[in-house]
Amino acid sequence: MAYKDFRDFLHTLEKEGQLLTISDEVKPEPDLAAANRALNNLGDKTPALFFNNIYGYNAARIAMNVMGSWPNHALMMGMPKNTPLKEQFFEFARRYEQFPMPVKREETAPFHEVEITEDINLFDILPLFRLNQGDGGFYLDKAILVSRDLDDPDTYGKQNVGLYRMQVKGKNRLGIQPVPQHDIAIHIRQAEERGENLKVAIALGCEPVITTAASTPLLYDQSEYEMAGAIQGEPYRVVKAKDADLDLPWGAEVILEGEVLAGEREYEGPFGEFTGHYSGGRAMPVIQINRVYHRKQPIFEHLYIGMPWTETDYMIGVNTSVPLFQQLKDAFPNEIIAVNAMYTHGLVAIISTKTRYGGFAKAVGMRALTTPHGLGYCKLVIVVDEDVDPFNLPQVMWALSTKLHPKHDAVIVPGLSILPLDPGSDPAGMTHKMILDATTPIAPDIRGHYSQPLDSPLGVAEWEKKLSHMLR
Amino acid sequence: MHICPRCESNRSEVVTRSPVKGAWEVLLCPVCMFTWRTSEPDSITDPAKYKSAFKVNPQDIPNATHVPPIPERVQRRS
Repeated sequence: MAYKDFRDFLHTLEKEGQLLTISDEVKPEPDLAAANRALNNLGDKTPALFFNNIYGYNAARIAMNVMGSWPNHALMMGMPKNTPLKEQFFEFARRYEQFPMPVKREETAPFHEVEITEDINLFDILPLFRLNQGDGGFYLDKAILVSRDLDDPDTYGKQNVGLYRMQVKGKNRLGIQPVPQHDIAIHIRQAEERGENLKVAIALGCEPVITTAASTPLLYDQSEYEMAGAIQGEPYRVVKAKDADLDLPWGAEVILEGEVLAGEREYEGPFGEFTGHYSGGRAMPVIQINRVYHRKQPIFEHLYIGMPWTETDYMIGVNTSVPLFQQLKDAFPNEIIAVNAMYTHGLVAIISTKTRYGGFAKAVGMRALTTPHGLGYCKLVIVVDEDVDPFNLPQVMWALSTKLHPKHDAVIVPGLSILPLDPGSDPAGMTHKMILDATTPIAPDIRGHYSQPLDSPLGVAEWEKKLSHMLR
Repeated sequence: MHICPRCESNRSEVVTRSPVKGAWEVLLCPVCMFTWRTSEPDSITDPAKYKSAFKVNPQDIPNATHVPPIPERVQRRS
């Protein structure tokens, strides 16, 4: 089911009625962001957008919202576009267990068509534009960045492929935000402790499976390329960078090669973030670009980000939930049913579990706080029974409203870590966290009147089948 | 030289011009690193109309928090 490259996926979207081409002239600002924001307001089955007539440009082509809905997410996995979300979650979890799938190496790639090493000007090469009104500049926010562990360069999984926001701050100069909980911060620290620049490569316009793997909170030594292969069910194709020992996604539209400048910090931001707030301005590391190559007439991919839900939330919903699910299952293999950590990148996580004895659900919640992703997110963990679907928010609200006793079931753990972008953290990066136990109390936790749960009339399953058939 | 709408320094320079002649220019301020396109709404391009909450005082820039902090050099055994 692997897509050959970014264009192959766009063709699939078009064939499936999930790509909307805007041929009327649009202004780079505010039209591109406004159209995308408007689209995100129109529900969770929206198409991708393709702009081919942008004021001031001759031939710029921009794709947005490429994975910004559940149908597009299903198509990314090669599933029918109307696949229910819960089914996408369990299929993703099944493929996650196929990890690792070794990569397939290639000598050349389509992006070798055009190469630029002199007088690089990213503002000329890429159709850059502003997203939100308070943004400090034009950003690359759906590019993947590749870097290598300097202490252990031979361990393949420690090569990191991640999505980080990058502000274009000069003709060959980017700013990058390395959140301390993310792997790139480790590589930058290793390089700066040596006083060396860190070689990096950046890929724009990638087929969605590598973007998905790059935005999955894998363990530090797990390879995103080997996970992309597992998710697409066949080896992921890579080609070597020219200036560093780094693997690049074969199907990308544009590649930038460069280096993080050791010991350099420069003003960056603010940027409208997935939290629905601007990040503020801070002094961040700088990347110098030394080489660019791209396909002829490249398609520039970009992502609108802001108040949820936007493309980001579809892109990092299922693939954030699954690692938490797997890591909780490692601890409690017979109990954990499903995990929904789709809200604001897992700042809220809902866990469905069986319970073995009184107090068990609270222990499940505390384990979630200590998973690698939980260390930077999971500010509010809601634990529900096995018969509550964590993806069905009315059911979750029912559990909260009927099972939870605030005196017993609200647990606050003080002084834990959180990503500094959480606008409520104080100081940035520190927060209390809360577990809400909305499971039914069981012995020896005997309280409440739960001995008469409502059941369904006899024959509901047969009627469901019969009616759904009649409704087709 | 142009006035930066955000920090009001007068050192901004053109970094690119529209491929279709005369449509717009993109300017970059080397002081606060703000970037804007001349065809953007005046709430972005006009220093007097730029939102006050997003203004930047050039004197504050050298004091901006380092994220992440620059680590000490470490001598490693060869």
